[in-house]
Amino acid sequence: MSSNPNSVSESRLELSKWRNLPVILMVIGAIGAGLGLAFGGVKQFGYSWLLAFMFSLSLCLGGWFLVTVHHLFDASWSVPTRRLCEHLACLLAPAMLILFLPIALTAKIIYPWMTLAHPEHELTSKYPLFTMAGFYVTAAVLFAIWWLYSNRLRYWSLRQDETGSVECVRRMRFFSASGVVLFALTLTMAAILFMKGLMSDWYSTMYGVTYFAASIWVTLPTVYVITLILQRTTVLRDLVRENTYYMIGSLFLAFTVFWAYVNFSQYFIIWNANMPEETFWYVLREKGTWDAVGKYVIIFGHFFIPFLMLLRIDFKLKLVTMLPLVAWAWFMHFVDLEFQIMPALHKNTILTPGLLVDAACVLFFVGVLMKVFIISLSRHPLYPLKDPRMSEALGIYVPPHDDLSDAPEGAK
Amino acid sequence: MPTSFAIMAEFDTPAAILRAAEKVRQNGYRQWDVFTPFPVHGMDSAMGIKNSKVGWFSFIGGCTGYATGMIMIWFMNAYDYRIVIGGKPMFSPFSAFPPSYELTILFGSFGALLGMLFLNRLPRLHHPLLKNRRFALATHDRFFVVIESSDPKYSENETRRLLESIGSKHIELVEE
Repeated sequence: MSSNPNSVSESRLELSKWRNLPVILMVIGAIGAGLGLAFGGVKQFGYSWLLAFMFSLSLCLGGWFLVTVHHLFDASWSVPTRRLCEHLACLLAPAMLILFLPIALTAKIIYPWMTLAHPEHELTSKYPLFTMAGFYVTAAVLFAIWWLYSNRLRYWSLRQDETGSVECVRRMRFFSASGVVLFALTLTMAAILFMKGLMSDWYSTMYGVTYFAASIWVTLPTVYVITLILQRTTVLRDLVRENTYYMIGSLFLAFTVFWAYVNFSQYFIIWNANMPEETFWYVLREKGTWDAVGKYVIIFGHFFIPFLMLLRIDFKLKLVTMLPLVAWAWFMHFVDLEFQIMPALHKNTILTPGLLVDAACVLFFVGVLMKVFIISLSRHPLYPLKDPRMSEALGIYVPPHDDLSDAPEGAK
Repeated sequence: MPTSFAIMAEFDTPAAILRAAEKVRQNGYRQWDVFTPFPVHGMDSAMGIKNSKVGWFSFIGGCTGYATGMIMIWFMNAYDYRIVIGGKPMFSPFSAFPPSYELTILFGSFGALLGMLFLNRLPRLHHPLLKNRRFALATHDRFFVVIESSDPKYSENETRRLLESIGSKHIELVEE
């Protein structure tokens, strides 16, 4: 009924100049990371690489989550974005698995608990998780589950493109219903093992949820902008309606609030209980410049700015508000991960030369994953061709076969 | 002779009422409304209705609620009756946050409800349409366009002709 404000400009995007962007990002990132390794030492490099890994893992797990909830809710608005979320999820393995190898190799340098001569009760009570074998076996299991589920969901989706059989829908629902549980467990385990493990004596039952909220929070604007680019350049042009952008924007708002909610809850419970074995994690983050990062940059930047902007319906649909917000979300997720990871290395300030190494590693990861993502996109149809809810997503009424003749007048 | 409140036109299908709404809007009427047995998708844009202003009422209500919570707790714990509990500060925005947050939601919903009533000029005890027998079909299977006589463009003959040209099968005047 109303025209799509995102496609008001009829000009198609010309992306040929940007063809080399992934390679450029990879080269810049690799040079930066290499310099970081040479001058900053293995420890700085390991932390930076870990940060970039967690940043990318957010997007990949977010893609898996969006595919899963699409099937669980049997939604129609997400049909046009389903395929790209499937590709996003499939970056988990093998791409992210290969990118995990430097962490596996530098784990002894990154994680203090691995080299403790006399582990105390705080650590031994967490055995067998925080042992060398526990770390590598768990990581292997995580990647195995991610590989299986992301791969199966895309496999049956591609089968559906060919056959359109109901069998495919049933299989995808099976992998979604069982997958959503495994999603929660594996994401929590990854957050605890890779990120919280930097300070292994700390306790927080909210930690997995905070990483979940942050992951989906950053994935939604990413999907928004990828959809936008694909719509301006490919056949998705006629398939994506305003409603899809509105729904992604609404979920983005919901996860902005959810992220703030879980992060505040974690802080509030620890503040209220006031026990040294929990508060030290935050005390460390109230020293030096970390204090300003946590109190001002993250509270206002990660919550208030997106929250107040996304409250408005029209802001969710305007390029002039959404594109800066998408870039801002990426930046804020980066700052959030800095706040989660880096105080373990740089006790007093976020402003170290290491910040450049972090940024370089993120650019490298983004370049690599973008390259793999584009190859996946070009190999397969850009949207689920035979999704049963395609016509609904397009807002077209298709009458059942037996009463084509007397379709209701108003239904269109 | 009773004065007329409005002119009412009846339609049979959602498509017809959508077309009618578009035509009435294009002809520049302002004091008019559409009544359907169920929500018709696209009616908002067909009628040219802008986004509701209720959100602003809930926003202001929410801000008031948050401020009320914070000020109340500060007043009670740190000003009016100071008691040290567990060595904690007299007032901290963290411990005051959960009740303030609840009050944000409470006052926000008050704002939404009262704002909705205010914008709709409710509650009111009677409306001229309610005594029209035919109008009761709006809750069954008919679709109505009602153009009020207070509309600056309203003219009994002109408006009737417009509604006929759109294709209404039944047009009648609603008494005040």
